[in-house]
Amino acid sequence: MKHPFQIVLANEAGTHLFSSVKNQILVFGLTGASQGKLIGSWIDPVDNLQPLQKQQQEKIKKLVTEVEDGDKKVKVPKIPTPGPGAPPIYNYIRSLYLSHQDKYLIGISDSDKSVLVFEIDYQNNENCINLIKRQIFPKRPSSITVDEEDDTIIVADKFGDVYSMDIKGPVIDDEKKLAPILGHVSMLSEVLIVKRNAKKFIITGDRDEHIRITNYPKTYVVKDWLFGADHKEFISVLNIPKFDDSLLISGGGDDFISLWNWHESKFITKFSIKDYVTQFLTDSHLPPERFLTEESEREMCISELIVLTSDSKHYIVILCENIPALILLELTSDLTFNYVQTFTTTFSIVDITAIEESGTIIASVDNEQDGEDKNLIQFYKLSNGKLQDASISNASISTSITELNPEIVESRHDFYPLYSVNTLRKRSEH
Amino acid sequence: RAHSNPFSDHRLDYPRSPSEMDWSKLYPETFDKSKVEIADIGCGYGGLLIKLSPEFPQSLILGMEIRVQVTQYVQDRIIALRKTHAEQYQNIAVLRSNAMKFLPNFFTKGQLSKIFFCFPDPHFKQRKHKARIVTNTLLSEYAFVLKEGGVIYTITDVEDLHNWMVQHLDEHPLFERLSKDWESQDKCVEIMYNSTEEGQKVTRNNGSKWIACYKRLPTPDDCE
Repeated sequence: MKHPFQIVLANEAGTHLFSSVKNQILVFGLTGASQGKLIGSWIDPVDNLQPLQKQQQEKIKKLVTEVEDGDKKVKVPKIPTPGPGAPPIYNYIRSLYLSHQDKYLIGISDSDKSVLVFEIDYQNNENCINLIKRQIFPKRPSSITVDEEDDTIIVADKFGDVYSMDIKGPVIDDEKKLAPILGHVSMLSEVLIVKRNAKKFIITGDRDEHIRITNYPKTYVVKDWLFGADHKEFISVLNIPKFDDSLLISGGGDDFISLWNWHESKFITKFSIKDYVTQFLTDSHLPPERFLTEESEREMCISELIVLTSDSKHYIVILCENIPALILLELTSDLTFNYVQTFTTTFSIVDITAIEESGTIIASVDNEQDGEDKNLIQFYKLSNGKLQDASISNASISTSITELNPEIVESRHDFYPLYSVNTLRKRSEH
Repeated sequence: RAHSNPFSDHRLDYPRSPSEMDWSKLYPETFDKSKVEIADIGCGYGGLLIKLSPEFPQSLILGMEIRVQVTQYVQDRIIALRKTHAEQYQNIAVLRSNAMKFLPNFFTKGQLSKIFFCFPDPHFKQRKHKARIVTNTLLSEYAFVLKEGGVIYTITDVEDLHNWMVQHLDEHPLFERLSKDWESQDKCVEIMYNSTEEGQKVTRNNGSKWIACYKRLPTPDDCE
């Protein structure tokens, strides 16, 4: 069986699909002559242990010269190697982003906590992505956003800090020299940059249910926090609809989504998805074993939220983690959410991406089957106000992309963590 | 325990937003008069609160402390004082909170006029510097809850921490250091120097105390 794609990301024009399996980035054509073909790829050469091993090697080298210089005895440390009982080490691409007009592909690596910048050249027949910068950060980046000028990346990290980084230009060798432009004392899950009345703001969401609006570039001036929706759990998705940039939709570990006028710090409405999602929850949605009690309930969380406009109506597609369904809502012109549809799929969905213009949704699915039903990519389409399966008409692309996925595994034990959003949930210590 | 990890997910009670905070429980006699205006962050055993209380009879003063037992102690102390001194000490209260995470849940923009940081945990290790109560990024949050012209007071017996706080406050565009002259004439500086339990301990041990006070500057015109 093949390892599912942990990330899928289509470009706005709908011509290319960027994806990741384990520590590889794969780019596929979706249209024309390159349809279903692999036209770009990159494998992360950095091993998780490398930085630690390198550090130890330097220490040993220093100690050995000290021993040679003097006669005192020094215990030389070993280079760490994981033993048989060691937890698995993951070395994967955590997220992918596209800059405006497909100029750059930006990835976050797990191996060395870096932001990877690739230049995209669709004309290059050998490989359309070329790594131009690898910037290591002190803590693992968790979300990024690109300024509209395509020259700056805003990087939010696991420690709650936000950095500004040039897309091009030299790499800063000593990551300790990087100074945050703003920060929360909580892991950040989302960062957006948004312009309103010719002024820019950064919006950040964190593991403590906070959503904060900060002036940009004067990031030392906080505009406000968004309160009133009663978010009790972490924020994992923040979305500013293209049709009205004063609006913000938020969601995460709570069983509802919220709508805000972020610029006026006003909560507008919220919508509970609990009744639609509960039927799909399994024991895999229970808390981790060490937190499991008799009263533990199955937990839902939102991992993706997409806004689509079709026939002048605005729709919200919600993906909850590790369920075989998408929830479709309509956001009406009087700013209320209406339930439209629960679209069930054959397999649990790992990630989704949308091509807005055609209303197409491409999903990476958690499919363990071999043979004819092995496809790891599925296509859905929003038409006449409903989601429909479009996998048959896209079967050849889907099969081709699945076959070009090079990662063959024995069983799902060898999968990298496909569902990690719910790990953001706080388990109180004391 | 002398310390508490500010990054832990403590089981904390905090309001969903400043408007949901029920202050009447903390200030049963005076809560409707005004909003909290003075915050002592990491108030320890409450010495500063008790001294500030009669100096600012018209202001509500709040101590925030992350350690459970210490908070309980201060609470008991305030209750006892209220019992023995009729109509006094009604304007001070304490609550357990992680101010580094949840300050905006308690206070609105520009609500406070004074914030005190007295003898904060020095977090000596380089690795732990983010846990310090004064950092570039947290200062922006303090600036948010502090009104223009409001004052941040800091005092410590650790010179290295003093230099750290001064460096970061100096670097922050929304703060400006107040002069030695100003310090010598300010009542709160004197109280802060002498009244806290930590401060008295330092005096007993003939240690030095470093003070730095900063004024909140106006928000730039091009910001919201």
